[in-house]
Amino acid sequence: MTQLVARFFKIVLLLFLLPKAACAATEQLPAHQHAAMAPSVAEAAQIGLTERLGEKLPLDLVFRDENGKPVRLGELITGPTIILPVYYKCTNVCNFLQGSLAGVLPAVKRKPAEKYRVLSISFDETETPAMASKYKRIYLDAMNAPFPEDGWRFLTGDLDNIHRFTDAIGFRFVRQGEEFIHPVASVVVARDGTIVRYFYGTTFLPKDIALALLEAREGKVGASIRTVVGYCFSFDPKGKTYVFNLMRVSATVVLFCTGAFLLYLILTGRKRRQPSQGKQQP
Amino acid sequence: MTQAAQPNTVPSFWNDTGKTGVAAWIFSTDHKRIGLLYFYSVLAFFLVGMTLGGLLRIELMAPGRTIVGPQTYNALFTVHGVVMIFLFIIPGFPGAFGNMVMPIQIGARDVAFPRLNLLSWWFYIIGAAIIIVSLFTGNGPPDTGWTFYLPFSERTGTNVSLAVFGVFIVGFSSIITGINFVTTIHQLRAEGMRWGRLPLFVWSLYATAWVQILATPILAITLALIIAERLLGTGLFDPVRGGDPLMYQHLFWIYSHPAVYIMILPAMGAITEIIPVFSRKPIFGYKMIAFSSLAIASAGSLVWGHHMFTSGMSDTAILVFSFLTFVVAIPSAIKVFNWVSTLYKGSISLEAPMLFALSFILLFSIGGLTGLILGAAATNIHVHDTQFVVGHFHYVMFGGAGFAFFGAMHYWLPKFYGRRYAEKPALVAWALMFVGFNITYFSMMLLGVKGMPRRYYDYLPEFAPLNLVSTVGSWILISGIIVLLINLFYGLWRGERIGNNPWGGATLEWTISSPPPTENFSEDPIVTHGPYDFSKAGMP
Repeated sequence: MTQLVARFFKIVLLLFLLPKAACAATEQLPAHQHAAMAPSVAEAAQIGLTERLGEKLPLDLVFRDENGKPVRLGELITGPTIILPVYYKCTNVCNFLQGSLAGVLPAVKRKPAEKYRVLSISFDETETPAMASKYKRIYLDAMNAPFPEDGWRFLTGDLDNIHRFTDAIGFRFVRQGEEFIHPVASVVVARDGTIVRYFYGTTFLPKDIALALLEAREGKVGASIRTVVGYCFSFDPKGKTYVFNLMRVSATVVLFCTGAFLLYLILTGRKRRQPSQGKQQP
Repeated sequence: MTQAAQPNTVPSFWNDTGKTGVAAWIFSTDHKRIGLLYFYSVLAFFLVGMTLGGLLRIELMAPGRTIVGPQTYNALFTVHGVVMIFLFIIPGFPGAFGNMVMPIQIGARDVAFPRLNLLSWWFYIIGAAIIIVSLFTGNGPPDTGWTFYLPFSERTGTNVSLAVFGVFIVGFSSIITGINFVTTIHQLRAEGMRWGRLPLFVWSLYATAWVQILATPILAITLALIIAERLLGTGLFDPVRGGDPLMYQHLFWIYSHPAVYIMILPAMGAITEIIPVFSRKPIFGYKMIAFSSLAIASAGSLVWGHHMFTSGMSDTAILVFSFLTFVVAIPSAIKVFNWVSTLYKGSISLEAPMLFALSFILLFSIGGLTGLILGAAATNIHVHDTQFVVGHFHYVMFGGAGFAFFGAMHYWLPKFYGRRYAEKPALVAWALMFVGFNITYFSMMLLGVKGMPRRYYDYLPEFAPLNLVSTVGSWILISGIIVLLINLFYGLWRGERIGNNPWGGATLEWTISSPPPTENFSEDPIVTHGPYDFSKAGMP
């Protein structure tokens, strides 16, 4: 009996390991771009987001603004503030994140720069105020509505300040050459730096923003709404062929078996009955 | 309409058993006892789900914290969904009324595999027990929503693995019931019970059974993969490990959308039994209703992508899924038109089962039409993930399947107890439920159109009035359900005795004594007429 159980577990383990082995095999192929971008397991552990709701963002961190002028976070966080941790050169999700925010900000019925502010903070220490300024132009122009220059600031900084900032909001990312693998999230802080809400993903609803700003004004710490963390990385569906094949094979087997079952039922037809056993019947 | 009570000459299934006490039930292979076991189990879980739903409404009564914190709120809506969907609606009709009524309706003594039938209930109850254990152990009840979307369900510290394992076990019970019913309907029909003479409830169970057989294994595999993802870190769905979360959504909805038809098809079948009986008229369009059940089952299996219009699928996929969704509306509309045509010039008697059936037509139509708003790619973007979806879903599932379930309780339970409920309190209960239901869920649809997202713990002050209205509606609804249950069960216990055929039905279950004998028929019946041929039903 024990042997039987042990064998069963071995088979189950094998079933799970086979696809993993197949995956490893495909990733070793030199032609696969996917292999270059997929993080190792050790790296994966370093990437992620740990919510630090209710904790304080240090307001003494110093970044450079679009003109290269050093600026303390405390000078910019003068009310409810939405902060986007991004890197400007990102060819992928950071653009969607900022673009999507630019799309909904005109619909938020609170006065930017006075009642709230947006900060894009680059976590790439090699990026310059010139780049920040260029991207600021792009997003403010994309808004198609007047938006004060001071309402959305684009910052860059050195490694030390960047890490103090990302650690404070629980944002973990990994550099891979020129690019980064990082979670896609933004954070809302109150005037005193208290973290009141996280937004996940690249899409915003004006009502979510209004609610978060309201909470930030009142200093209320809100619950996260959609706690599904998205990630910015390149995904190559070709690297997943083994999964698709597995699905195709199992679908065929299931359909074949049920087809055979139906055929059997149709061929055998209605059963002729034995006379009733009449357990309790007269 | 009640016939004079007739003395039962054959001992009923209640008295016939070698075993006594609980064992006579939980080890019985009699389809009627298993049906009742299922019935009381799903009813118990319905009451649990209802209580959780009531608490959710109280929490949302006003902005900010009302009775629970955000984490508890997340757990509440997750458990409400899991319990209502996996433990109430999916097993509700096939497990309870399918088991009780279907074999008698086709003139069989039992299902094809009686022991497998018992096993299916055991799988159900063991799975349910595991889900309940998951609520009180580990790091607290799951907070993922009943959809268990990855990667969140992989990362959350709550007790997702155990809950998912419970649902996995419950899935087996569904598959076994499906195989059992398909075999029974093919092989055990009485002499003369041709496919064209099957009651339409049986047709709907037949269509449902195929969906159970084909779709449930996919859910089982998907849930097993969540567990593998959590425990072994397989990385199939986790983007950090190169997995594809969209694939999870595909796999989940390939089952879970057809599952909606597992819930609604037999409900439609029950309504199709009730309407002709209380209109004293043969059903209009028998063949088309039977066909539409199969059409809904097959077309409904191809539309899952409409849950994912905002998830990042290609535009082509969105277009195709949107088109197929509209296609499903056709067989659904065929049913609605046929029911209404059956009512036309009928001699309608507004008793409790009929009232539930009529309100089913209205509520299901509202649910179905709002489903098209969600199925159209453009309007979906506006109302996606809002309270509109919650309102729509409850119109279909509660206003549809739920009201049909209550109608079926009034229609068939007296058969199995030999006694009936009092009519007036039943009408009061129905009225309370109907009014409460519409207040509760119509407000949700309005909130959704105004932009209030679903699954939110807190909301902007502008949503407060409608939320309050919805909560008050839920109190009316719940009070209706309480009146209904007290009246029904008191009636079944102490109510007026009924004869074989209190409603004047023409299907086979009304030809045998109430409660039925163990083997249903003292002699195997020979069927000579259709299920809605009232001229031969032996009624005034």
